[in-house]
Amino acid sequence: MTVGSQVKGCYASIKNIEASLQTLANKAQETESQQAFKEVQQIVNEVKADLGKQIIYLSREEPQYK
Amino acid sequence: MPGWVEVILKSLTLIVVLFTLTKLLGTKQLSQMNVFEYISGVVLGGVVAIHTFDPEANIFYAILAMFIWFVVPFGVEKISLKSKAFRNFAEGKSTVFIQDGKIMEDNLKKEGYSTDDLLEKLRDKDVFLASDVEFAVLEPNGTLNVLPKRENRPLTAKDLGIKLAPQKEPQTVIMDGEVMYESLANLNLDLTWLETELEKLNVSIENVFLGQADTDGQLYVDLFDDSIAVPSPTEKPLLLATMKKAQADLELFALSTENQQSKELYQRNSKKMQDAINKIEAYLS
Repeated sequence: MTVGSQVKGCYASIKNIEASLQTLANKAQETESQQAFKEVQQIVNEVKADLGKQIIYLSREEPQYK
Repeated sequence: MPGWVEVILKSLTLIVVLFTLTKLLGTKQLSQMNVFEYISGVVLGGVVAIHTFDPEANIFYAILAMFIWFVVPFGVEKISLKSKAFRNFAEGKSTVFIQDGKIMEDNLKKEGYSTDDLLEKLRDKDVFLASDVEFAVLEPNGTLNVLPKRENRPLTAKDLGIKLAPQKEPQTVIMDGEVMYESLANLNLDLTWLETELEKLNVSIENVFLGQADTDGQLYVDLFDDSIAVPSPTEKPLLLATMKKAQADLELFALSTENQQSKELYQRNSKKMQDAINKIEAYLS
């Protein structure tokens, strides 16, 4: 596996994490848990955005694997 | 009227009267009865017992006697709700047996407790060494309540400084294969959610003996057919594992790349993921 595809795999997991956090936040009854889930979802979202940029950068670096 | 008909009629009447009076006297548990409730209970029972089978006895006397024995304890109860002094008199006061770790011998004697009685009561509370107790008090209803010394109290999450997610009572959403719509609504969930969750577990609703959902919307079921194994909810542990894996991956990328800028980006995000894990861990376990 190239670095690019590895990072893409990680990006997919992070998307999965974000979605799971979203469902949990929606299902949670306690405002405290709800807020915690939302807060963490925000952090994961930032990571996702960063990683998305990195994927674009890597695909330019490794055009032969595209 | 033959004697036996009279007995039947009297018994039925007195059962109704006794039942009503007992209900009116309050629903305090038998173990929490105070002196008055105890006495009136005994006497009411006695009056009924005598009058049911004695054809000579006048039933109106029975009812009158029961009424008196009902009114007095009832009045006592109502007054003691209002007045603390009267309550102390009618229901008794609690007596301190151990204070600051020292046994109050005078109080023991006053309540008629021997050393053995005290030790027995303490053992009842899982205390075998009297010096482990900071404070112990004999309640009016005869139970001894014990506050152990700080170091002998059970360890709690607060002592360890562990943060725990708040948890409300779980709701029973399926009973004997029937959906409880009210409890579902309490959790802001609906039938569609329940059907999806059951489909995930691969069971049909008729086969579920008991289904409970916690506040985070995870379903736990017990089936009629005990030979089928049901997986326990995996959503939260799985999410935590995925988060940990993503964090580890980012760290690995940071180590393996030569490019300084990418390294920094991976490191920063790996740190963020670690933060996220730390924040959410309590809620996912």
